[in-house]
Amino acid sequence: MIEVRQVSKVYQVGGQPVVALRDVNLSVRRGEIYGIIGLSGAGKSTLVRCINMLERPQSGSILVDGVDITRLEGEELRAARRQIGMIFQNFNLLQSRTVAGNVAFPLEIAGVPQAEIKRRVSDLLELVGLTDKAKAYPAQLSGGQKQRVGIARALANQPKVLLSDEATSALDPQTTKSILRLLLDINQRLGLTIVLITHEMQVIKEICDSVAVIENGTIVESGPVWQVFTEPRTAAARNFLRGVITPELPPEVLERLIAEGGGENQILRLSFLGEQAGQPLISSLIRLFDVDVNILYGSIDHIKDIPFGTLIVEVKGGGVNPSRLISYLRGRGVKVEVIAGVVEPDLDSAVGGLS
Amino acid sequence: MWSSQTWILLWGAFLETLYMVGFSTILATLGGLPLGVLLVVTAEGHILSHPLLNRILGSLVNVGRSIPFIILMVAIIPFTRLVVGTSIGTSAAMVPLTVAAIPFVARLVESALREVDYGVVEAAQAMGATPWQIITRVLLPEALPSLLLAVTITTINLIGYSAMAGAVGGGGLGDLAVRYGYQRFRVDIMLLTVLVLILLVQCLQALGDLGARLVDRRRRGAS
Repeated sequence: MIEVRQVSKVYQVGGQPVVALRDVNLSVRRGEIYGIIGLSGAGKSTLVRCINMLERPQSGSILVDGVDITRLEGEELRAARRQIGMIFQNFNLLQSRTVAGNVAFPLEIAGVPQAEIKRRVSDLLELVGLTDKAKAYPAQLSGGQKQRVGIARALANQPKVLLSDEATSALDPQTTKSILRLLLDINQRLGLTIVLITHEMQVIKEICDSVAVIENGTIVESGPVWQVFTEPRTAAARNFLRGVITPELPPEVLERLIAEGGGENQILRLSFLGEQAGQPLISSLIRLFDVDVNILYGSIDHIKDIPFGTLIVEVKGGGVNPSRLISYLRGRGVKVEVIAGVVEPDLDSAVGGLS
Repeated sequence: MWSSQTWILLWGAFLETLYMVGFSTILATLGGLPLGVLLVVTAEGHILSHPLLNRILGSLVNVGRSIPFIILMVAIIPFTRLVVGTSIGTSAAMVPLTVAAIPFVARLVESALREVDYGVVEAAQAMGATPWQIITRVLLPEALPSLLLAVTITTINLIGYSAMAGAVGGGGLGDLAVRYGYQRFRVDIMLLTVLVLILLVQCLQALGDLGARLVDRRRRGAS
């Protein structure tokens, strides 16, 4: 649906060039929710604003539904923009218009007849649950309600793509959840492709199918959310994930365990995705390998709608070759990460059968 | 206390002031509004970014605002003759009043439109709005409360200027105060005229404030 190819953008700040995007490549499939995560200043906002040409990249191309939007000007560009809805962190509603007037705005400028506008506005307000606020002004609404108006307005021209520029960053966690649910609902009901940028991994975890991590204007890692979450390859991705799903043992606990084990024990992080989360893994481990398993940490969570379990265990005794034990686990489709132990680290780098 | 003649004088001068100021305000708004819009939209990075044109317009406006009114009035006498056929009288006074007020209105309009959050302009751009649609459906309606206040300020300023225009035969309340009150030592007429001017300014400001408040939807609870 969206193909970003070799896009670069350089700003001139006080005569000095500042690179906002460098050779960015991105591929968003039709109907998916694609999250772009990065710290402020990483270039994520510039990237999403390039998709509807609010920012023009210096080089590269951006194909939206097969049309290279970077080549469009004037009326052609405006027509293409009507196919791309956008919502903003600060909502950007017209203060002088009512809720209904705001939703009608994109229809008016597209030249839709009045009767049709009236009908569509009432449908859209129903979709976002604001029918009773049609005559209110933005100043009378809460942040969440304002963003709902923003969403209704963005959907007015029945776009193929919705861009979300930090749409939940100004909202409290509860409201964020309800706005995310609305976006997911729209995505599923209308088959709308959504590209959202955020600095919160929680947002990605709740609704995204794919994710790209952007750092200093470059995409450093991208892929399906479950993959990036379970096997982050870069420090940037791991930083964002810290505290979201991957638990870390406190360093002093880890040190004590290693010291107590005298180098004989293994501390492993086991991750399960989907169906595997229900397997009786620990008991079969104890039976087959004659080892003691001490559970240090356990959790179960969801990535979008896939259950995702994590266990941190200490394995002792048995005199079994630890790499055999690990291959066994991987054979059962469990991702294994050796936190401490005698196994060579390069064994750990193999993909653990999650795909 | 005063003869009926005084009241007739005062009433006539009052109407002259209203006529002079009313028309100049309308004409100055018609001229200053587009100029102010251009000053905003041609600024670098705005919807019709044209830094050179922006600088030229900005300089012209500054020149217009630097010339003292009394000098401007004399300097453009040929132009005034060309437009109204004479350089004396109430109608003639309207020409320098309008010319002097246009750059003033332009700057007020500019600052009113700059108050509009650029994010709203970008949202309209993202929806595929044309520059004209952004000006007429976003910038001007969003800035309406400030624009109404700008017109109020202009009107009141023009009342002050019109007194000077009166000095060269433009008539009006200011002229009355100068000719009768000052030059003929009729302190009572001078005070009366000043009182009428004060009331006029008070009423206009109150009206402008009320209008601005009525169209302002930016505050919580306003409906």
